[in-house]
Amino acid sequence: MAVEQEHFVHLARPLAPTALGFAAGSAPLTVNIQPQAVFSVIDHAVRRDTRDTQSTRVIGALVGTRSEDGSEVEVRSTFAIPHTENEDQVEVDVEYQKNMLALTLKASPRETLLGWYTTSHELNSFSALIQNFFASPETGTFPHPAVHLTISTEPGAGIETKTYISAPVAVSPDRAAESCLFIEVPHKLLFTDAERAALGTSAAAAESESRSAPVFSDIESLAQSLESVSDLLDRVSGFVGEVLDEERDGSHALGQYLMNALSLAPKVSSTQIEADFNNHIQDGYAKRPASASPRPRSSAATRRAATRRSEGAGGAAAAAAPEGGKRGGRGGGRGGGQQREPGSRGEWRVDARQKKPKKEK
Amino acid sequence: MVDAQKDVPFQSAQVESLVVMKIVKHCSSTFPTTATGSLVGMDSNGVLEITNAFPFPTVDVSTTDGHQSDASSLAAAAPRAKANIAYQSEMIRHLKEVNVDANNVGWYTSATMGNFINLSFIENQYHYQRDNDKTVALVHDVSRSSQGALSLRAFRLSAEFMAAYKEGKFTTESLQKSKLTFRDIIVEVPVIVHNSHLLTSFLHQIPAPPDSAEIPLPASLDDIRRDQAKLPAHPSFDTLDLSIDPFLEKTCDLLLDSIESHYSDLNNHQYYQRQLTREQFKITQWQTKRKAENAARLAAKQQPLPEDEWQRLFKLPQEPSRLEGMLNARQVEQYSKQVDGFTATITSKMFAVRGNLLPE
Repeated sequence: MAVEQEHFVHLARPLAPTALGFAAGSAPLTVNIQPQAVFSVIDHAVRRDTRDTQSTRVIGALVGTRSEDGSEVEVRSTFAIPHTENEDQVEVDVEYQKNMLALTLKASPRETLLGWYTTSHELNSFSALIQNFFASPETGTFPHPAVHLTISTEPGAGIETKTYISAPVAVSPDRAAESCLFIEVPHKLLFTDAERAALGTSAAAAESESRSAPVFSDIESLAQSLESVSDLLDRVSGFVGEVLDEERDGSHALGQYLMNALSLAPKVSSTQIEADFNNHIQDGYAKRPASASPRPRSSAATRRAATRRSEGAGGAAAAAAPEGGKRGGRGGGRGGGQQREPGSRGEWRVDARQKKPKKEK
Repeated sequence: MVDAQKDVPFQSAQVESLVVMKIVKHCSSTFPTTATGSLVGMDSNGVLEITNAFPFPTVDVSTTDGHQSDASSLAAAAPRAKANIAYQSEMIRHLKEVNVDANNVGWYTSATMGNFINLSFIENQYHYQRDNDKTVALVHDVSRSSQGALSLRAFRLSAEFMAAYKEGKFTTESLQKSKLTFRDIIVEVPVIVHNSHLLTSFLHQIPAPPDSAEIPLPASLDDIRRDQAKLPAHPSFDTLDLSIDPFLEKTCDLLLDSIESHYSDLNNHQYYQRQLTREQFKITQWQTKRKAENAARLAAKQQPLPEDEWQRLFKLPQEPSRLEGMLNARQVEQYSKQVDGFTATITSKMFAVRGNLLPE
């Protein structure tokens, strides 16, 4: 899933002073940002120090991976850098940046420094100064361009993200350090499947008043999903109803789309469904008592012996536990595959008996 | 109940979304190798707030020339490795400079299908909880999270288990005396996910709301396909997936593994039992022999030989620790609960599907 920004025409990219033989400098650049990077920038913005500095923004470094030809970068994590800023000077804790980068890279050796972020959209001469620091050969990303990410965090406005790269430009050599040309590059927020679930929980928390939500159990999240599916179906049927009643204009495309979706319902004979259903439901039933029965036993020894006995019961309908035996029998056909070597059940019983005298000693 | 509340220094763990994302990213990027890291935050009013996290450095596998399992076990042992303790304090010192809560509140680890209860987990958590009672272990289950619902759970060791582990004695006798069962090893703490205000407003922007209230109707099918509707992240429809067999198979495999190790544990114990009876038999034999000898000496008016010499002569075998067995039992319980929860959802889904396909 990718949240794409508006369509972007990528005309040209400024040419950094490339080393001889390094020709990949003019390919377009795409920036992929992972959500936890944005989250930690936002966290940093919330935690900014407002006591003794005038600065309204915070800065930090972007860390991530770069594709082999350098045309695509992926921002994976960030770390904050303390800095102070006032009208005529900016101070960045370079020592801190160096140490923190070393610490971060130690934990994830495959990642590299990509650039830096700040929490306002303003680009000024300080931005250029910091950008040149991050793009320089000694301390920065040279020969790759340094990426500059800005996230607006003004109250009352939407949170926007922009990414830039830069080219050196100056009227005279002595002013080169504090000026550069920022060129905006396209970027997108990239979520992997693994992050979807986490993001879902975060989104659930975002919707509640207290800004927090518990981690749902399986059955709860199923209920929520079903509710929202039925909501969506209601909306669709409401729309279709309105079109039929000629309250609003229909759309051929939508109608076609719905017809296609509805025709996806499988045509299977009812006996087939019944058979499949029973097979699978029995799988579920067979495993459930098999694994549930060990739990009620309290004493360590009997419990452990019971574990193995009821496991056998799930497979082969041995009447070890009355419930386990009855239900397990129905699922016996398939569950039998899980059973261990046939003779072992007898041994297990012996275990149970042998264990008892031991306990009394 | 009052006792239980007094016992636990905090009632729930409040995890920032940032931490959730960081853990998920770290765990899924190293999958299937175990990933571990440290948590920082603070506790207030019975709630442990976890506000940031960072991963522990991993040992480069290529240089050590090890297998994947080695990397996993190294990573699992990372939280208590000497180098990482230094790394952790260094990192916390740096985070403090940018106003991040600078208290260590535990550690996190990744798991596959709930297979996290082992000696290494216990040792790590003991290591943390010994120094600071307000620490927690977050367990992120990678393979269960990929099924739709996030699986993030918080655990800590119970006070009784801490005391028992400190003594390091897990014999049948001591377990009977302390009434410690496998249930009492770890305590689960409810996890709550929390967002900052700024993050809340950011989350409301994905997916971006439409520009106007009235959206123009699409002109053709291609229009719809090109511009797919972006569903909100919550509630996710991944949970409606109907695949059953892979999950049950995997859990059964793991369950059988557990039972296997339980079986070998049992064998060890039986071996010990046999050794013990053999030794005891020898001792009684020796004692009766000595008694008869003494009686003979007494009859011959000689000094009796000491009767407690057997303590020097015979050595009783050491009872193997029962801890492994207890953990095993706890692990089996974990799998059982997992299957229980899974079948609950799958049964309802199955009935829903049947109801839909077979109209009454």
